[in-house]
Amino acid sequence: MTAEQMPDPIDAAALEWVIRLRDPGFDGWEAFESWMEADPAHARVYQAMAVVDEDMAALVAAVPAPVLRPVPVVPARRVSRAWFGGAIAASLAAITATIVVQNQPDPYLIETAAGQPRSVVLADGTRLDLNGGTQLLLDRKAPREAVLKQGEVVFTVVHDDQRPFRVSVGKASLLDVGTVFNVARTGPRTTVAVSEGAVVFNPDAEAVRLPAGRSLRAVDGAGSIVLANTAPATIGSWRTGQLVYDGAALADVAADLVRSTGLVIVADPAVAERKFRGVISLGDNRRALPAGLGPLLGVRVVADGAGWRLQAAAP
Amino acid sequence: MTESGLEAVFIANRGRLLRFLRAHGAGDAAEDLLQELWLKLSRASTGPVAQPLSYLYRAANNLMLDRHRSQRQADRREQAWIEASDAPAPGVAVRADGESGMIAREQLQAVEAELAALGPRAATAFRRHRLDGVAQRDIAVELGVSLSTVESDLRRAYRALIDLQRRFDEV
Repeated sequence: MTAEQMPDPIDAAALEWVIRLRDPGFDGWEAFESWMEADPAHARVYQAMAVVDEDMAALVAAVPAPVLRPVPVVPARRVSRAWFGGAIAASLAAITATIVVQNQPDPYLIETAAGQPRSVVLADGTRLDLNGGTQLLLDRKAPREAVLKQGEVVFTVVHDDQRPFRVSVGKASLLDVGTVFNVARTGPRTTVAVSEGAVVFNPDAEAVRLPAGRSLRAVDGAGSIVLANTAPATIGSWRTGQLVYDGAALADVAADLVRSTGLVIVADPAVAERKFRGVISLGDNRRALPAGLGPLLGVRVVADGAGWRLQAAAP
Repeated sequence: MTESGLEAVFIANRGRLLRFLRAHGAGDAAEDLLQELWLKLSRASTGPVAQPLSYLYRAANNLMLDRHRSQRQADRREQAWIEASDAPAPGVAVRADGESGMIAREQLQAVEAELAALGPRAATAFRRHRLDGVAQRDIAVELGVSLSTVESDLRRAYRALIDLQRRFDEV
C-alpha cells in the first residue's frame, strides 16, 4: 500500500486500534479481539501498522522536543571558570600563571578486570558503576568529563545546568540532561541506554536526544545510528546479575557475558547477528552458566580451550 | 501482585489468552505461543503489576507483534537474497534488519518537518500520548481542549507519521 492511496476502512480501523492500545489505561481487549476475529485481514493489517508505529516512535523520540531547546553546549576546551567568575583581585600575571597550572590535564585511569565490577563516587556526588572489563579515563582537572575506552559504565550524574557531564566514547560524545544512563563500548560498537532524564548523543553533530527508555547503538565509521526502546527498569541491571535483552545481537550478548563474568564466551560469526530477547540471570555459580545458555539463546555451547563458543544448533 | 499472583491470573485466563492469540492469527501455534509467553513473563521477574489481566493481554499482543516483525525480517532477507546482485554502493546505509530502524539525518529532518506541519497543539498531543504515555483525557486537560479535539489531533498525527515511516520502509 502506498501513502497516496485513500486509506481503506480496515486501515482506518487499524489506526484507531493502534492509537487506543497506546492509551495507558486501555482495557478494551475483548472488543479488540472481536474486531480481529471478524476478518483475518484485520489482525494482519493491525500488526503491520503497529510495527511501523513502533519504528516511527523511535524516530520521533530522536527529534528533540521544541521545549527542551536549546541544548547546553560545553566549551570545547575547558577553562577554569571559577577563576574568571570569581572576583579575584590578583595581578593578571598571577592569574595567568594559575590558569596554566589549572589547565594541565591530570588524567587517571580506572580499570576493572572481567568479572570484577567496581563503583566510584566523584567529588560532585556523581556515581560511576563500572562493569568488569572496563577502562574509564577521568581527569582530576576536568571532573565533569569521562572517556570510556572500553567496557560498560552506569553513570548516575548529579546534574548541573552550568556544567553538564560529558562522556566521550569512540569518536562520539554524550551530554547529560539530568541523567542515569548506561554506556557500553565493545570494539567499535557503542551502546547507550537512558533510564532517567535524557542524554544528547553527539551534541555538536547529529544531536540525537535520548529520553528515558530509549537506547542507541552506533558502530564507528558506519555512518548510521540504530535506535530502540529499552525498559528503563532494566537498564544497568547487570549490577544485580541480570542481563536483559530486547533484540540484542548475540555478539553483544557474548561481550556482556565476558565483562560481567570473566568467562571467555565468543559468538560464532554464523550466529553473531542473531537477535535475542529475554533475561539471563548470572547466578552465583558462574561455572554453571555456560551450560544453561544453550537452550536460552537457542545455540549450541561448545567448550573451546579455556572458554566457550556459541554455535548454530544442529538442525 | 507477586509473580505467583500473576501466574494465578495467567492460569485462570488461559482460555481467554489463547482465544486472543488465535484472533491475532496464531492458528495452530497458539498453544506454543502461550507457553512462550509465560516463559518470557516468568523470566522477566517484573515488579508489582497493577492490572494483571490487562498486563497479560498486552504481553500477548507484543508477542504477536514480535512474531510479525521476525516474519517480516525473514521475508526481507529472502528479498535481499534475490536482490543480492544489486550490491549497495559503499557508504550507503542499508537497512540490515527490521529490528530497529537505521536512522539517517534526512529521516530525522523529515520527521521534524512532519511534526511541524501538524501544528504545535497536535504535535504536543502526539508526543505526550506516544512518547510519554499520557492518557488522552489527561492530555485534553493539559492542553485545555476537549477530548474529541485530542482524538482528532492524534488521529491526524499518527496517520501522518505512520505514512511517513511506511515511505521510509519502502526505500
